[in-house]
Amino acid sequence: MASEKLNVIDNLQNLDVLQMDRRTFMKAVAALGASGFVARYGTSLAKAMEFSKTKVVWLHGAECTGCSISALNAYNPEFADALEKLNISLEYHETILAQQGLFVDGKLVNTSELNGEILLDELANEGGYILVVEGSIPNGPDNTGKACILGGHPFKDIVEKTARKADAIVAIGTCASYGGITTTNCDTKEYCDFQGMSFTETTPGGILKILGIDKPCINIPGCPAHPDWFFLTVAALILGKLDLNNIGAALDQYGRPKPFYPPESTIHDNCPRRGYYDRGILDKEIAQGGCLWKLGCKAPYAHSDCALRKWNNGLSLCMQAGGPCLACVEPTFPNASMPFFEESEKTEILFGANIGHVALFAIGVAVVAAGVHAVRRMKKE
Amino acid sequence: MTENVMRYDWIGRWTHTFHAIAMLVLIFTGLVIYFRWDIMSMHNARTLHMVSVPVLILTNWFLVPYGIIVQGYAEGGVKGIITHFYNNYIFNSRDAKHLSQAIKNFFGKGEYPKFTIYDKGKGHYITRLHPLFKIFIVLEGISIFLIFLTGIVLYDVNWSIFGLPIAQWITTIFGWFAPFLNLSSLSFIRWVHLALTYFFIFELICHALILQFAPKPFNYWKTIFITGKEDFNNPVVQVIDSSKDEA
Repeated sequence: MASEKLNVIDNLQNLDVLQMDRRTFMKAVAALGASGFVARYGTSLAKAMEFSKTKVVWLHGAECTGCSISALNAYNPEFADALEKLNISLEYHETILAQQGLFVDGKLVNTSELNGEILLDELANEGGYILVVEGSIPNGPDNTGKACILGGHPFKDIVEKTARKADAIVAIGTCASYGGITTTNCDTKEYCDFQGMSFTETTPGGILKILGIDKPCINIPGCPAHPDWFFLTVAALILGKLDLNNIGAALDQYGRPKPFYPPESTIHDNCPRRGYYDRGILDKEIAQGGCLWKLGCKAPYAHSDCALRKWNNGLSLCMQAGGPCLACVEPTFPNASMPFFEESEKTEILFGANIGHVALFAIGVAVVAAGVHAVRRMKKE
Repeated sequence: MTENVMRYDWIGRWTHTFHAIAMLVLIFTGLVIYFRWDIMSMHNARTLHMVSVPVLILTNWFLVPYGIIVQGYAEGGVKGIITHFYNNYIFNSRDAKHLSQAIKNFFGKGEYPKFTIYDKGKGHYITRLHPLFKIFIVLEGISIFLIFLTGIVLYDVNWSIFGLPIAQWITTIFGWFAPFLNLSSLSFIRWVHLALTYFFIFELICHALILQFAPKPFNYWKTIFITGKEDFNNPVVQVIDSSKDEA
C-alpha cells in the first residue's frame, strides 16, 4: 500500500491539475494529502480560482464542534489559507461567525452584517452554496425536530431551508454523516430521533429522505473528521472533479469518498503496530507497546486512510499514541465499538454472556452428556 | 461367528481421514491465531490454517459428493443416487423414531435403537449414520459454507475473482444482519467465524466422544480409518433381508 502510494505520487509529478480526469484527481488528493496537494498544484489552483468564488454555509446541529476544531487545527495549509487558496467564502459558521442572533421582543433586528439569523435567511434565499453540516439532526420528539432549537427554530427546519437551495451537501463528522455519538443506544436516542444527513447509522435515507430533499450528499465521517478529508473533498467539488450528477461513483456504500475511506483495505492493514500483530505480540494491558487488538482495537473493522495520512500534521494516529482504534469513521460508531476496550468478539449475546461463555457451556454440556451416554451404553452391554 | 461387511469404501475412508485432519488443524490453528497461544509462531499457524482450507473444501465439496454418486449409482443407477442420498444423509421419519428411542434410552427407558440398517438381499446399507449425526451433517454443511465465506473476508477484505468483488458482496450481506448483534459488518464476520469454530468443537465432542466412550471404541476407529468393515454383532446394527420379505 505504501509503495503503491509512492508510485502514484511519482506518476502525478508533472500532471496539470486542471487537465486531470476525476479518477486521477481523487488519486492525487488521496496520495498527497492537503499540504502536498496544495504545494504541488498551488499555482494551478490559483489560476483555476481566479474568477470563481464558492460560498460555503456551515451549520451546527447536535454535536460537540470537534470537527470544526479539527478543521481549524489544519496545519498545512491552515484553515484560513485553505479558504483563500480554494477561493472559498465561508459565509456562515456559527462558531467563528462575527454576527449574533439579535432579537428584540421576539423579532429579528438590524441587518445581516450584524445579525446571523438574518444572514442565514438571506443566504438560504440566494442559494448556490455548498452546505456543510456538522452534528446530527434531531427529528424528535414526534417528528417536530424540537429537540434542537437554534434561534427559535428547530434545527431540522434550518437544515430543510438551507439544503433545498444548496448545490451540494457535505456532512462533516460521524454525527452529521450517520448520527454518530448522538445515536448511542439509550432513551435519549429514541426520544430525539437523531438522524444523519443521508444515512442514519447504516440505513440510507437520513433527514434528507424525511424532508423529501434530493441533493448530492457526501459523508466525511470521523470523530472528528480529518481536515484533509474535508478540504480535499471540497476542493474536488469546487474544481468539478466530483460529478454531482453521478456522485455515487466516487463514494462507497455509506456515501464516503473512496480515496479517503478505501473499501479495499482497513486501518489495520497499514497500522504502524501491524508487525506486532503478525508476530502475535498482543498487548494485554495499555502501554506494553504491541498490537492493541485484544485491548479492543477496532482497526481491523474500520475503513479509512488514518494510518497512511496520520493526524496532527502527519505526526501520529490513535494506535501510534497507544490508544485502540474506535472505528469512529464507521456508520455503526459508537454502538458497535462499545465497550471501547473490549474486542468485538466478546460482544454480549445472551444475558451478559458472550460467544466464548456460550461455547464453554455448550461444550461442557456435550462432554457431560457424551459421558453419561457412554456409561449407560457400557452398563447395558 | 462374526460376520463383516464393507461399511466404508476407500473413498469414504479417505474422505473422512482428510476431513478429520483438515478440521482438527483448522480448529487448532484458528484458536492459536485467535488466542495467540504461545505454541507456534503466528506465521506457522496462519500457513497451516491456509493450507488446510483447500483440503477441507476439496474433501467436503468434491470427495463427499463423489462418494455419494459412486455408491448410489452402484446401488441403483441414477435413481439409486437419490435414494442413497435420501436414506443415508437426510433426517427422515425413521431417524426421528430412532432419535426418540435414543433419548428415552438416555433417561433409562427402552432399548437403544438399532439405527444402522443393512439389507442382505440388496447387498448394501439402507441407512448407516446415527440420527443425531444426520442433523449435524446439515448443520456442519451450512457451517462450513459460512465459515468459508467469512474466512474469505478475513483473508482479504478486497478478495475478488474474475473481477467479481466477492469479499465486498459477502461484507454487504453480513452487514444486513450485523446490527442485530450491535456489530459492524466486518466485526460480525469475525464473530461468526469464531462462533462457528466453537460449533465445530462442540460437534466434534458429540461426534467423537459418544463413539469413543463405547465399549469397543477401537472398532469404530478401525472401521472408519483402516478396514472399512463393520461387524454385524455391533448392537446398533440391524440386518434385514428384503429378498426374503419379497419372496
